[in-house]
Amino acid sequence: MSTSALTLTPRQRRAFGLLVAGEIKIAIRRPVGLLVAIGIPFALLVIFGSIPATTRPEPALGGISFFDLYVPTLMVFVLIAVGLTGLPQQLSSYRQQGVLRRMSTTPVPPAWLLAAQTTVSLILAAIGIAILLGAGAGAYGLALPHDAGGDILSVVALLLTAAATIGLGLVVAAVAKSPQIAGAITALFFYPLAFFSGLYVPVQEIHSQLITDIAKVLPTGAGFNALHAAFGGQSPGVLPFLVLVGWVIVCSLAAARLFRWE
Amino acid sequence: MYHHHERDIIPVSFKYIDRIDALMSIQELDRTDARVSAPVPSGPARPPVIEVARLHKEYGSTVALDDVSFTVHAGEIFGILGRNGAGKTTAVECITGLRTPDRGDIRVLGLDPRRDRQELHERVGVQLQDSAVPDLMRVGEVVELYASFYREPADGRELIATLGLHDAQHTYFKHLSGGQKQRLSIVLALIGQPEIAVLDELTTGLDPEARRHTWKLIEKVRARGVTIVLVTHFMEEAERLCDRVALIDHGRVVALDRPGALALAATTSKRVRLTPIDPLPEELLSALPEVSGVEHHGAEVVVAGSGDLVTAVVLALHRAGIQAEDVESETANLEDAFLALTDETTHADSNGVTR
Repeated sequence: MSTSALTLTPRQRRAFGLLVAGEIKIAIRRPVGLLVAIGIPFALLVIFGSIPATTRPEPALGGISFFDLYVPTLMVFVLIAVGLTGLPQQLSSYRQQGVLRRMSTTPVPPAWLLAAQTTVSLILAAIGIAILLGAGAGAYGLALPHDAGGDILSVVALLLTAAATIGLGLVVAAVAKSPQIAGAITALFFYPLAFFSGLYVPVQEIHSQLITDIAKVLPTGAGFNALHAAFGGQSPGVLPFLVLVGWVIVCSLAAARLFRWE
Repeated sequence: MYHHHERDIIPVSFKYIDRIDALMSIQELDRTDARVSAPVPSGPARPPVIEVARLHKEYGSTVALDDVSFTVHAGEIFGILGRNGAGKTTAVECITGLRTPDRGDIRVLGLDPRRDRQELHERVGVQLQDSAVPDLMRVGEVVELYASFYREPADGRELIATLGLHDAQHTYFKHLSGGQKQRLSIVLALIGQPEIAVLDELTTGLDPEARRHTWKLIEKVRARGVTIVLVTHFMEEAERLCDRVALIDHGRVVALDRPGALALAATTSKRVRLTPIDPLPEELLSALPEVSGVEHHGAEVVVAGSGDLVTAVVLALHRAGIQAEDVESETANLEDAFLALTDETTHADSNGVTR
């Protein structure tokens, strides 16, 4: 996109707004993406929040409950669901059906559709995470970050993790010729990535240095580490942020290089 | 004696085959019923809006466009006619700035399609093959969205009504019929109030009635003063709609003229069919200067040639005292021109180029 959001004319802003509104309507009309990205993590939150054992502080977890540990995992789950399942599906089908080609004949380049999709992904992720935090804190006694520093670190961690997962999704959209191929690629990476965010079992509970080290360099593991520390009032250190920034850069460059409009 | 009574002549509904007793007016019959709209003045009197000079494009070792040149004038319907794979779509993509040619110059409304792409797309509406809008958008939403892309959009509701999509306004794109999708794509091509509309294979996949309806719409659009570039592989479509046609084959413009003039130029492909009752000596017809070839298909003889072929054949038969039945003459039309000017033996096309 040659024009940045700051230099858009009112007409261009209206066009972009309509593009985003259209994509949101489509997401609501085909709600399977919303179910995966918002429904599943919310259901897991309700299930684990309702089990007394998981909400009791555990000395083995440093005095926090399994539930407190699991909420950052669920937030990462929302981000990979939005970035890795929704985005590549939609973009690859737009390419296959000729939606991008159709737009390439108008004064508004198809890159705008990509930007609109990314915007919608961020909006959906924000809604999913807000629901998790609202319900978690309101109904299940989730401990939110204690201070402004924790808040800022959490937001930065969420934004960087979102950027990394959306970047991964754009790479999948770039190389997948059809939504079926995109789905296959996503299926290959989704569950391992979810594993390293602690979806099935907390990574530190596995007591394997190798697993812990792998988690540190993956976007989901790094995202989880940063969020977990920030929510618990500890310093996450620089490493998780550097890892996430690295993933954002690599994915953006790869997507920009590999993306085909037709 | 030439044997002539009513039974001899099979009434042929096909409009390019006339009865033998009208043989003297074959030339005059040329296309009188084929065109509905009066030919619009074209040529130097109107300013050129598209100028293409020596365009060349290769994909790997495949030459898609080879030294293609033509000029489109304001207000005309210009046809780009050719078989699938002839290079039509590549030409259109170069003109509309979607592809960069290897060599050659293109000016559209005075703009460079690559450099001034955005401005070009403001003023040139394009409908391409293999293009779509999202499945789950409603017609009204799509039109509103696309209208927002342009500086001075047309009234979307009026366009929707003009193209008969009023009842489909709230229908998802994926639930539209083929004809409705094509009409929506015309709406989208016109929503920016373009000076030129480029329509690529607009009627492919439509049933004959929907096709004729679309033709009427295209004529209405031209009546609004929009220059139209119509890409097609349907002979009948080009003949009926276009003021001028560029015939493209293997990436080259093999002919460029009015459809009628192209057909007239193809008199070499004129044919006479007859079924002789008496034995017909081979050299009787092949010796005639007008005849270029004689073929036997069972009892039927097909004589190919040029000039006043029918008269020559009938007179020769008469002189030799040979009676013949079922004498039919086929006048040249654009399709004959197409077959004469392109290499039909290497790649046959079942979609209307050959019948």
